[in-house]
Amino acid sequence: MITTVTLNPSIDREYFVDSNEITKNQFIYNEEYLRVYPGGKGLLTAINLKKFTYPDVQNIGFVGGKQGSFFEKMVQKYKVITNYIYTDKEIRNNVKIISKNPFSYTQYNDYTYKVDKIDVEDLIKRYKRGIVESEIIVIAGSIPEGVGFDIYKILIDIAHNMDKKVYLQASGEALKLALSAEPEFVTPYFKHHKSILDKEIKSKKDYIKAGLEMQDRGAEYVMIPFHCDRLLFDADGRVYKLTPDDYCIINWLGAGDAYNAAFLDYVYQNGFDFLEANRHGGAAALWIAENKKVVLNNGEDFKCCLKRLHIEELEV
Amino acid sequence: MKIVRDYMMRSMNSVSSDDLVEDAIRNMYKSELSVLPVVNDQNKFIGTIYSNNILKNIIPEQFGFIESHRIFYEVNQAVENLDDIRDERVEKYMSKATDVVNENEDMNKIADIMLNNKESLLFVVNNGGYLRGYISRADLLHFLLDEAKKN
Repeated sequence: MITTVTLNPSIDREYFVDSNEITKNQFIYNEEYLRVYPGGKGLLTAINLKKFTYPDVQNIGFVGGKQGSFFEKMVQKYKVITNYIYTDKEIRNNVKIISKNPFSYTQYNDYTYKVDKIDVEDLIKRYKRGIVESEIIVIAGSIPEGVGFDIYKILIDIAHNMDKKVYLQASGEALKLALSAEPEFVTPYFKHHKSILDKEIKSKKDYIKAGLEMQDRGAEYVMIPFHCDRLLFDADGRVYKLTPDDYCIINWLGAGDAYNAAFLDYVYQNGFDFLEANRHGGAAALWIAENKKVVLNNGEDFKCCLKRLHIEELEV
Repeated sequence: MKIVRDYMMRSMNSVSSDDLVEDAIRNMYKSELSVLPVVNDQNKFIGTIYSNNILKNIIPEQFGFIESHRIFYEVNQAVENLDDIRDERVEKYMSKATDVVNENEDMNKIADIMLNNKESLLFVVNNGGYLRGYISRADLLHFLLDEAKKN
């Protein structure tokens, strides 16, 4: 069983239009120009892992209201095991409008989802017994209102008490507090904050400093997205840069989740090799970025990108 | 051969035998299910809790036999009784003798099990006894429809 945790899931809706003009009514008659899918960082990692044909992959988290039922039905179509706490409030909807002429990408990100204190207590109970069969727990994404910023720290401590490893993808205050629980693998995201551990990151030096600080605060391995590269912080103190060659990016959505899934798949199939697992992660992310896909087709197609990924050690 | 995994609902929504009756009622209401699987602390299936079982324990008589002027009295009594048991453990009200099916079971056998069973759904476990989800009569009909279309 592979476990992923998504506390703030969403229903993502993408509308493809010719031009995104203000005050103009748009009519979409062709289903090709409308995509509706379940979103949330841990969930997309789970869906990717199902594409690798792992028999049992579960997603633990909250879902709410009638939209929550709709969301769960969409997840079930991917044959991912749902392990959800049902809440009173409706889950969120993210709307993305993609226009051709001129090209534009407009997102309306909904952060209105709220859960009650009792839902959080139920989630912790469910999580404790839900992860029994898993070796690695993937915890990813934002947290809804009503959940304390220390939730990831709590979940990591529970996992460690049960001898499980944790792969954490988080940001902001939740990330900061989670580091003290010493997660094994950490990949921060920072599109909201443009900062890591409260420090603005602009230059490569800032990124490297942030990675090393995360290790100082408890992370064993750190992987930081750095434009189209990744900076890799090994447990032995070495820092590497993973770079793709000759790429043509047409889509960012889902690349990070494919990265997580391919990283974990490599570890499950071949044992732990930090650099090689990241090279596979990078290849999967590159495949998503060059195709109009949110999730991988399977566990093989992306491997054609492996030869275009190279890793160099950086002097720190 | 079609197996249960091909048609089941993969849901680990459950209560633990240590949970309170109140937790089970809240879960039933929010998940819109009147029956839930009960698991132990290892997530292994150990039984089922039915809304009916809880109701039987709080309603002194069957509503069908109650004279209309006694309904208010009975409802108030039920509320009082529920207040008494809501902090009790699910274990006390669960049913341990419940049929489960293995996720690798042949779908053809499920029809037999379901028709000989009053349950509208059966919980599904893997070879290790861990909960994996449930299969409903609607899923069985879905399977039968698929088979019919083949002919």
